[in-house]
Amino acid sequence: MSDFEPTIGIECHVQLKTKTKLFAAVGNDAREAEPNTLISHICLGMPGALPYLNEQAVDLACRAAFALGVEPQKFSKFDRKHYFYPDLPKGYQITQLHHPIVLGGKVKIKIDGKEKPIGVTRAHLEEDAGKNTHPEGKDYSLVDLNRAGTPLLEIVSEPDLHSAQEAKAYATELYLLMKYADVTEGDLYHGNMRFDVNVSVSKDSKLGIRTETKNLNSFKSVEKAIEYEIKRQTELIQKGKAVTQETRGWDDAKQKTTTQRSKEEAHDYRYMPDPDIPPLELTDKFINKVKSEMPVMMPDDWRYKLKGLGLNDQQIEILIQSELELQDKISILPLIEQHLSDKALAKFLANWNVNVFLPLVREGKLKLGKDYHLALEKSIYDLTNQNKLSSTNAKALFEKLISQEKLPEKVEDYAKAKGYIQVSDESEIAKIVSDVLTANPQAVEDIKKGEMKATGFLVGQVMKASRGQANPALAQKLIKSQIDKL
Amino acid sequence: MYNISHMSKISKDDVLRLAKLSNIYIDDSQIDAFAKDLAEILGYVEMLGEVDVSGLAPTEQVTGLKNVMRPDKVIDYGPSPKELLKNAPAQEKNQIKVKRVL
Repeated sequence: MSDFEPTIGIECHVQLKTKTKLFAAVGNDAREAEPNTLISHICLGMPGALPYLNEQAVDLACRAAFALGVEPQKFSKFDRKHYFYPDLPKGYQITQLHHPIVLGGKVKIKIDGKEKPIGVTRAHLEEDAGKNTHPEGKDYSLVDLNRAGTPLLEIVSEPDLHSAQEAKAYATELYLLMKYADVTEGDLYHGNMRFDVNVSVSKDSKLGIRTETKNLNSFKSVEKAIEYEIKRQTELIQKGKAVTQETRGWDDAKQKTTTQRSKEEAHDYRYMPDPDIPPLELTDKFINKVKSEMPVMMPDDWRYKLKGLGLNDQQIEILIQSELELQDKISILPLIEQHLSDKALAKFLANWNVNVFLPLVREGKLKLGKDYHLALEKSIYDLTNQNKLSSTNAKALFEKLISQEKLPEKVEDYAKAKGYIQVSDESEIAKIVSDVLTANPQAVEDIKKGEMKATGFLVGQVMKASRGQANPALAQKLIKSQIDKL
Repeated sequence: MYNISHMSKISKDDVLRLAKLSNIYIDDSQIDAFAKDLAEILGYVEMLGEVDVSGLAPTEQVTGLKNVMRPDKVIDYGPSPKELLKNAPAQEKNQIKVKRVL
């Protein structure tokens, strides 16, 4: 587009998967709750209230550190960040300014087949604010404090990103890491991960003036907002105008960023150490315990293993995402892993799940209990290998069986009884072929003249006569040999 | 009395900005008095600058406590949300009503 180089940094607020708030032992799931039902004297910042740190939030922040490839900080502490806004009744937010619980880290992204590590500056624990709404035509706003105090981990990237595409890849990978490490529910629709993107453009090595677009809650809006900002800032500079350093919002309907009036004109948060929350000094024992509870296989480990099976990048990413999509319905990756010693089977399972199973799940066809899943796929694999199932029938049989709760005792017997098994008995098909050839002399003539198109037609006729049960490869072979003999 | 060796200057603008940040209203007639008081307070605190603290870790807490954490379980604190909301100056449908902010 131009010789302007964009520079992008991303701050991501990850909502931690806890039952209670960061500093109050009050329920945390505000999704369906009526306004102001999940509140306490602590959430309301009432005089004398003493915030009390949730151990699980610390545990999850440490998990996040390991997911980002670093050890959590042994020493961290909490600070007050002051500002006045109705969604923050205390008049300050408890956060970690000088000593965050995570320092450093990396998120690996892949762009055009090339790996690129994106640096993480830091990640710190902080509490979320409440929710303001502004009724149409009224002179007041309404405040719901259910969300006030929800634990967040703010993950700050280095300004290592240089395109909207890279930023989207970073956001997606961060999501995968946090989900695999079980740090967050990751419900994007409910804002469990919210991205703030800092964008500037420059022609030389000196960074340009940046804007911050806040509260993006999908990977697509991250990409689109950055694309828009790069274009807007580049055009401003090309017209000889200056970019204003400001906070912007993303209008999803209009697909553009707009200036946001700042919460406060004078930005001075007057940070101070929070005297209510004693510092954290994590012991090696605690850190090692968290480490031992981390999943053995993170996305990159799966990529490495699946690559070894000869799967392509797209299939691999679909399988990695599927773990999150399927939630606890079924877990495909471990099934494949169990069979890595039998490469052909493992590859079949990978392909089958990507091409057949996942699309059926998305159509809502899955009823079969997860204990049966592997057995069914292995039966399909065996029957296909023995030429007993055509690929069409394999899919039809599979679809039929996953929409039932249980498997029949023997899949092969069931398939036979229901007419899925293809006839590979040569003499039986030979008879059908000979009937078909007699009934279609014109096609036979065409083939003799070298018009091979007619073969397809004859195979179709054989399939029709066998009610779909003939093995088409065998039928084709027999058609050819019988015509040669004529 | 303590000796204010290098009295800090607090301007009228400083006072107004602080008032804004603290979300408090002050009358024009109060500005000079606040400027004087604040300068004195600041000057008093500046005495600390005379102490050599090189090599000392900052004191962020004086309790000596660390790792004060609770398990991730709901506690019944007593007052119900409805009772707590009674402290809000105004309400509408369980929400706290405030001066419009957007």
